[in-house]
Amino acid sequence: MVKFVKIIPIALKVGTVTRKYPFERPLITESFRGAIEVDPVKCTGCGACTRICPPKALSLIREGETLILRYFVGKCIFCGMCADICPEKAIAITKEFELASENLSELNVDVEHELKKCVKCGATFVSTKLLNKVRSQVEALPDDIAELCPNCRRLEILKRFTGGR
Amino acid sequence: MDITTISSFSKEDLEKALKRIKRSIWVYHINTGGCNGCDIEILDVLTPWFDVERFGIKLVASPRHADLALVTGPITIKTLPRVVKALRAMPRPRLVLAIGSCAVGGNIWFESYSTIGGFYKILDKLHELGVEIDKIVYVPGCPARPEAIIYGVALLLGLVKQKVHYVRKKA
Ligand code: SF4
Ligand code: SF4
Repeated sequence: MVKFVKIIPIALKVGTVTRKYPFERPLITESFRGAIEVDPVKCTGCGACTRICPPKALSLIREGETLILRYFVGKCIFCGMCADICPEKAIAITKEFELASENLSELNVDVEHELKKCVKCGATFVSTKLLNKVRSQVEALPDDIAELCPNCRRLEILKRFTGGR
Repeated sequence: MDITTISSFSKEDLEKALKRIKRSIWVYHINTGGCNGCDIEILDVLTPWFDVERFGIKLVASPRHADLALVTGPITIKTLPRVVKALRAMPRPRLVLAIGSCAVGGNIWFESYSTIGGFYKILDKLHELGVEIDKIVYVPGCPARPEAIIYGVALLLGLVKQKVHYVRKKA
């Protein structure tokens, strides 16, 4: 009982500590990491982020002739590894944390990419943006081979070496 | 003995019930095998620092007294029967707040052999067992911030508008 009385002067000195959260700004420090944001202009659809993401919150999905980079916030652990690994620096870490939703599908963010078709067999194999980027950086890539899918490319090169037989 | 639940619980009934508990919602906390990160955040919410009793949110010790179940963790195989039991013991309307990445999408345990991987995966099974969940709100975060949990409860009660929406951008 005596011990309890001791608390009263301490409580009087400290005063009210309660945060008035909905009515005041939440305490967000500089190092806080919230949901990520993919910049659709910079992203090339290479898929590096989908490989590093521990819970596979980022995934590449093929939907006919479009490639979709899907970000599912519900699985994200806000580690920021995707932002580190992205070669285009397309991923930004925002401070957003009020992500509650009544519907799981509302937690998805999709980035659509156009897929390149192989000129020979018509199969889709890589996003147009990524191919263009590779072509702009690798000078030794012949134009006729660049637009073939990996399988056709192999056959084409084999054909050239064996002299077309 | 078969335990039957009220099956004729319409949308109007839910709205009426939500209106009634808006000012005082009693919560029950179920950890289904999480790492305790979210549990500590829930504790934070209940301490004088965030003091959710100013909104009438009160922690109760039994699911029989609760309006809302705070579910954390990816639901391990071992905890599954307890989760079902606890949810069955709750009166209608049965409200669930899935807190943290684990409860929402399974986190890094989304395809582990010993976990179910997210609350959404047991919804069909619960329906089959006659344990209807009337409303679920998913609160992502690893762990979910105390503010995010308060926001989630407010969303469940219809006090705030949802901020996130499905977006499809063209690259
Ligand atoms: S790593 Fe960057 S460029 Fe590659 S798919 Fe992910 S966001 Fe796009
Ligand atoms: S922050 Fe981490 S968990 Fe979230 S999408 Fe990026 S890599 Fe995946």
